[in-house]
Amino acid sequence: MKNPFDDFKDHRTREREIPLDSIIQSRDRVMSSIIKGYEKLLEEEVKELVWLVQYNTVIKAYTLAEKVVKEFDYRAEDVEEFCYELDSTDKIPYLITGPAGIYISALCNYAKEEEIYLKLNDLKTQINLLGYRLPVGKKVIVEGNLGDFTGIGLEGGELVLEGNAKNYTGAGMKSGRIRVTKNIGLHTGEWMMGGEIHVGGRVRGMGKIVDGKVYEDEKLIYPRNYRQSNVYY
Amino acid sequence: MGIIPEEAIKKIWPRIRKKHLFPEIPIPKASEGNESVALEMKNKQITISTAYCDKIAHKMDAEEAVEALLDHGISHYTFCPWDFHTHLRLFAEAKRVIKDRERAKRAAGLFMDVAADTYCVKRKKTPLPEFYKHIDKGKVDEVIASLYQRIWGVDLRAKEDEGVVRRLARIPYLDKKQWDKSIQKFARVIKVLLEVEEEQDRQAGNQTSPMGDHGLDGYTLEEIDQGLRNFANQNVGLKEFKETFEDFKEELKEVGYGMEGGMGRGEGTPLDADLVYYMKLAESYSIPIKKMPMEKRGHLNPHSHCPWEIGRPFQDVDVWTSFGKIMPGITQTWNKIEGSTFGEREAVPNCIIIIDSSGSMTNPRKNLSYAVLGAACASDAYLRNDAEVAVYNFSDAPMGGKALVDFTSERTKIYQVLCKYFGGGTALNLNELDPLLEASERPDIFIITDMKITNLGKVIGYLNNIDNRITAVYIGENTYAMRFREAMEKKRNVSFYNVTKKEDIPKIVLGKIREYFQGNL
Amino acid sequence: MTQNHYRERIKGIYDFIKENLYFNRPDMEIKGERFNSALMFSLLTGLNRGKELIIGEPGLGKTTSAEYVGSLLYRIPMGIIWGSEVSGHPEQTEEKIIGRPDLGKLNKGQEEVVWSNFAQIPVKIVDELNRLPETKQSMILDGVDRGNWEYLNEMIINEEYCLFATANYQDRGTNTIIAPMVDRFDVEVESRHPGPNIAYLVGKFDQKDRVLRNPKAENSLQKILTSKLSYQTKLRQMEEVCDGYGEFLKKKLGVQTVGLRDRKAIRGEIARMELDLDANAFTRMLLAELSFCYKYGQKRSVENCEEGCHFTGYLCHEVRNCASNRLPTSIKTYSQALAWLIGDSEVDVEHVKAVTPFTLAHRVQWKEEYLATKEKDKRDNPFQIHLAKDAVKTVFNRYGEQNEHLKRALAVGYRVFNGEALEPVDGDHPVYFEIKNDLGLEN
Repeated sequence: MKNPFDDFKDHRTREREIPLDSIIQSRDRVMSSIIKGYEKLLEEEVKELVWLVQYNTVIKAYTLAEKVVKEFDYRAEDVEEFCYELDSTDKIPYLITGPAGIYISALCNYAKEEEIYLKLNDLKTQINLLGYRLPVGKKVIVEGNLGDFTGIGLEGGELVLEGNAKNYTGAGMKSGRIRVTKNIGLHTGEWMMGGEIHVGGRVRGMGKIVDGKVYEDEKLIYPRNYRQSNVYY
Repeated sequence: MGIIPEEAIKKIWPRIRKKHLFPEIPIPKASEGNESVALEMKNKQITISTAYCDKIAHKMDAEEAVEALLDHGISHYTFCPWDFHTHLRLFAEAKRVIKDRERAKRAAGLFMDVAADTYCVKRKKTPLPEFYKHIDKGKVDEVIASLYQRIWGVDLRAKEDEGVVRRLARIPYLDKKQWDKSIQKFARVIKVLLEVEEEQDRQAGNQTSPMGDHGLDGYTLEEIDQGLRNFANQNVGLKEFKETFEDFKEELKEVGYGMEGGMGRGEGTPLDADLVYYMKLAESYSIPIKKMPMEKRGHLNPHSHCPWEIGRPFQDVDVWTSFGKIMPGITQTWNKIEGSTFGEREAVPNCIIIIDSSGSMTNPRKNLSYAVLGAACASDAYLRNDAEVAVYNFSDAPMGGKALVDFTSERTKIYQVLCKYFGGGTALNLNELDPLLEASERPDIFIITDMKITNLGKVIGYLNNIDNRITAVYIGENTYAMRFREAMEKKRNVSFYNVTKKEDIPKIVLGKIREYFQGNL
Repeated sequence: MTQNHYRERIKGIYDFIKENLYFNRPDMEIKGERFNSALMFSLLTGLNRGKELIIGEPGLGKTTSAEYVGSLLYRIPMGIIWGSEVSGHPEQTEEKIIGRPDLGKLNKGQEEVVWSNFAQIPVKIVDELNRLPETKQSMILDGVDRGNWEYLNEMIINEEYCLFATANYQDRGTNTIIAPMVDRFDVEVESRHPGPNIAYLVGKFDQKDRVLRNPKAENSLQKILTSKLSYQTKLRQMEEVCDGYGEFLKKKLGVQTVGLRDRKAIRGEIARMELDLDANAFTRMLLAELSFCYKYGQKRSVENCEEGCHFTGYLCHEVRNCASNRLPTSIKTYSQALAWLIGDSEVDVEHVKAVTPFTLAHRVQWKEEYLATKEKDKRDNPFQIHLAKDAVKTVFNRYGEQNEHLKRALAVGYRVFNGEALEPVDGDHPVYFEIKNDLGLEN
C-alpha cells in the first residue's frame, strides 16, 4: 500500500531552539521533582489526611523533608513556584499546610542562595510552619501573609515577613531574627529560647518565653513589660 | 536609507504574508506618524510610522526594521492575544495580582508583546532581535530586552537585572494553556517596575511604547461581541465579568460598542455590565428559528414521468411523450403525487415573563441568577422568532416593588427590567397583568418564582380563568408550590417544573419553548 | 504555447465577461487580485471539467454567467448553448434530456437514437435543477459523473464536459437536492446582486448576450448535432466549426479563446501544480475534523455525539454527516486551477483556504444547535457559504497554532509507516489520532 505520508518524507522541522525551551524544560523537571518529594512526604507522614503539630511529628517530617530536598537541584524561584502549585489543585491533590510548611522550610534551608525572596501575596492559603530551623547565614523574605508557627525553631537565620502572621510566631526559636511588618497573633514566642522578634504592628498575645526579645513597633515588650500568656490588648 | 515608501511595504508584504501563513489582514500602510511610536493597529489595519523608520534607519536596514514591525504586529493577530476573549482573560488575570487597572493593562500588554515576539523568533525567520537592539528603551523596555536576551540567546545590549530576569525567564510564554497562570507570575514580577515607570512617566511626561498600545482598536465590533460572549461563558462569575467590563467601559464606548453589540445597535444607551453579562450568557442558549411548514393539499397531481412496464395500468400513460406508442422502453406514464404548499404559519405568540425578585431569590446584580438567565433565554427565543416580550418583575407589588415593560422587541429594555431586584416580600398585583393580556392575542406566559407568594390564592384563581399557555418554573419544593400544583394540575394549558438545580432553569425554559414552537407546525 | 500564454487567454476571457457581459462586484481577494467568486469558479469549473451548483435569487445571472463561460471557454455559439440547456420542471423526461427514438425508424420497427444537444455538447447547463424530480436529477448527475449517456442500448461517451446547475433558494415549487446528489457537485457559489449602480448598467446593456451569437456557426453546429454521423465524427466536425467561431470572437470582439488542444494542455499544466506542505497538511487537518469520531470511529449521520466528548470544540461536534471522498478531490483540483490562474508556481495554503468554503458549503449538514447559534450572525454570504467560511477559518486558526507540530507528526508518520521504530507524535487534535490509525496503532 502506498505510504499516505509520502509527501512529508523530506520535511525537516524549521523551529529554532531557543534558551527558553531548555529553561522551561529544566524548570518543569525541577518542579516535578519537588512535587514528587512533597507527595512522598505526605505519603509517609500523613495518615488519613490528618497531621497534628506536635514536637515529634514536626521533627520526623522535617527529617524526611531534608532527605528528599537534598536529592535535587533547585533555585529560590522554584520554591516560590511550588508554593503557588500547592494553591492550585492541578498538579497537587492535597494541600495540608503543616507538612507543606515543613517541606518549604527544608527547601529554603537547603537552597543554594543565601537570600530567598518569596512573593506570596496572591496565595489563597496561608502556609504554617514556614522558617522552621532556618540556619545562620540564611535570610528568607516573604511578601504576603503566613499562618501559624511562623519561624518555629529558627536556628540563627533571619525571617522577614512583609505582612501578617498568626499564632505561635517564633515558637521554640533558638536564635536568629524574625521581623514582621504588620500584626501577629497569640502565643507569640511560645517556648522561645533566644533570638529576636520584631513586629511592626500589633502583638495580640504573648506565649511562655524562656529567653529572647520581642519588640512591638520598635518598643521592647519582652523582657521589659513582661506579660502573661494570652493576655489581650 | 530614507523614508520607506508604500512600494517597499508592497515589496516585502507577500513574503511576510507567506511567512505568517497568510493572515487575513489588509496590506499595511505607511503614514507620517511620530518618532516614538513605530506601529499602530486599528481594525486590523497596520500602520507604520515613517518618522520612526527614518529614525531607526540610521542604525539598521530600513526594510529589516519594517519587517520586524510587521512580524510583531502580525504575531499579535495570529498568536497572542489573537482574539478579544484572550485579551480580556489576560487582563483579568493580571488584575488579580496588580489591583490597579492601568498597570494591569500595561502588564497584560507587555505579556502579549513578549509572547508574540518570542513566538515569532522561535517559529519564523525574523529581524526582531536586531530591531530590539536598536530601539530606545525606558526602564521597563530595558527589562523586557534583557529578558529577550536571556530567552532568545541573543545580545541586545540590554543591562540585566539578574533577579528580575531570572524569574521572568521561567515563564512558558509559548504555552497558551498556561497563559492564565503565566501572566500572574509575570505580573507579580513586573508590578514593582510598573510602579516606578508610572512615577517616572508622571515626571517626564507620558511615554508610550514604540510598539504602540494594546487598545481595543485592533478588534472589530463583532470580535469584541464574541470575546465578551466567550468571556461570560468561561465560568467567570458575575462579579469578575463586571469588574473587567467596567475596566474597559471607556474604551468600549470609544470604539462604538453598543449595548447589543455594535454601532447603531443600542448606541447611546449607557453600557450596563450586568445586562451585557446576561445577554452574552443567554446567547449561548439558543433554539432554531421556526421554519415555514409545508402542508399536503389533499389531491393528486401529475408530477413526473416514469417508464411504463407491462402490467401497469394504461390510464396514466402520457401519449405525447410516448410518441403514440405503447411499448416497454418507449412509453412513459405519469407519476402522480399529492401536491404540497406552504401552510399557514401560526405566528409565534408574544410572551409575558413574570419573574420573582423577592428577598428569597438571588440578586442578579450580585450573583448569577439562573432565574434571570432562564427568563433571558426565553425572551431571546421569542424575539428571534419576531415576537414581542413583556416583563413583569415583582417583589411586593402592591407596595410598589414591581417593574413592568410592555410588549417590546427592544432587548435592552427587557433585560433592564429582568435584572431589577427589589428583595422585598412576594405578592403579585394581578390587575397589572390585565392590560398585557388584552394587548396581545393569547400570549404565552412564563412564571419563574419560588412560589412563596403571599397572595397565591388570588394568583391561582386568576390563572385558572385564562387559557394562555402557562409555564411555571419554581425553585425548591414547599407548601405553596404544592398548593399551586394541586390547584392547577387539571389545567391542560399549564405546565409546572420544579427545579432542584437552578442551573437547569434555562434548559427547562428552552425545552418548553421548543415544544411550543414545534407544536405550532 | 507557453503556460503564460494560456493563462493570459483565460484571464482575457474572464476580463471580457466581467467588462461586457456579467456585471458584478468582486467579492473575493487572493494574492492581491480581486475576483467575482461566481464568475471565477465557473471558469475554473469549465477548465477542470467540474460540476458547479449556482444558487441565487431569481434573475441575478445564475444561468447567464454559466452560458457566457461555456460559450467562450468551449467556443460554442450562444444559440447552441441556449438550445442545449435542460430546464428544471417536473415534466422533464429522459427523452427531452438525453435522447429519443428516431420516430421514422421506430415506425419501421428499427431502434435508432436521436441524441439531445445536452448529451452531445461539452457544456451542460441545467436550469433550476431542484425543480426536477429526484429521478431526473440522479439521471443527469450519473451521466455527468462518468460522461456516459445511454438510451435504448446505445451509448455516447463525452470525453470533455462540465456541468453548471442553477438552483433558486427553497420555495414552494422546489424539491430538495438530496445529499448524495449534492455531494457530486464540486463547488457551490452564489450569483449575487451586483448593487444598484451596477444593476443599472445591466439594465442599460440588456442586449449584451447577442454579441456571442453567430447564426452561421449555430446553423452549422445544429446540422452536425442532428446528423446521423457517429459521435466521434460529429466531435471532429464540431471542433472545426468551433475553431471558426473562435476566430470570429477574436476578430469581432478581440477576445482570444482556447480550443480543445489548448484546454487539454491547460489541464495538464494544472494537474502538475504541486501542493506545498502547508496546503497539504491543512487539508488533512480539515478532513480529519469532518470525518473523525472518537467514540464511533468515524462520523456517521445516524449517530449522535456523546455529551462531554473531549473533542467538543472541533468541527466533528458541529456536523452531522461525514465528509465524502469527493471533497478532497474538489479541494485539490480547484486549488490547483486557482493557483495556475493566478500564476503561482505552487499551490499554497491561501489557495486552499480560498477554495475550500465553496467546496464544503453544500456538503456539510450542520447540527440544529449549531445553526441556531449562527443564524443571526452578520454576514455577507448566503448562510451555507458563511458557515463553511467560518468553519474553514476556525480550522485554519488551529492549523496556525500547530502547523509545525503537525508537519512533524506527518513526517514521523512516513518513517513509522516505512518500518522505523519511532514513536508517533502526539497531539490534541483528531488528525493525530487518525495518523495513528493509519499506522495501525492504538489510540
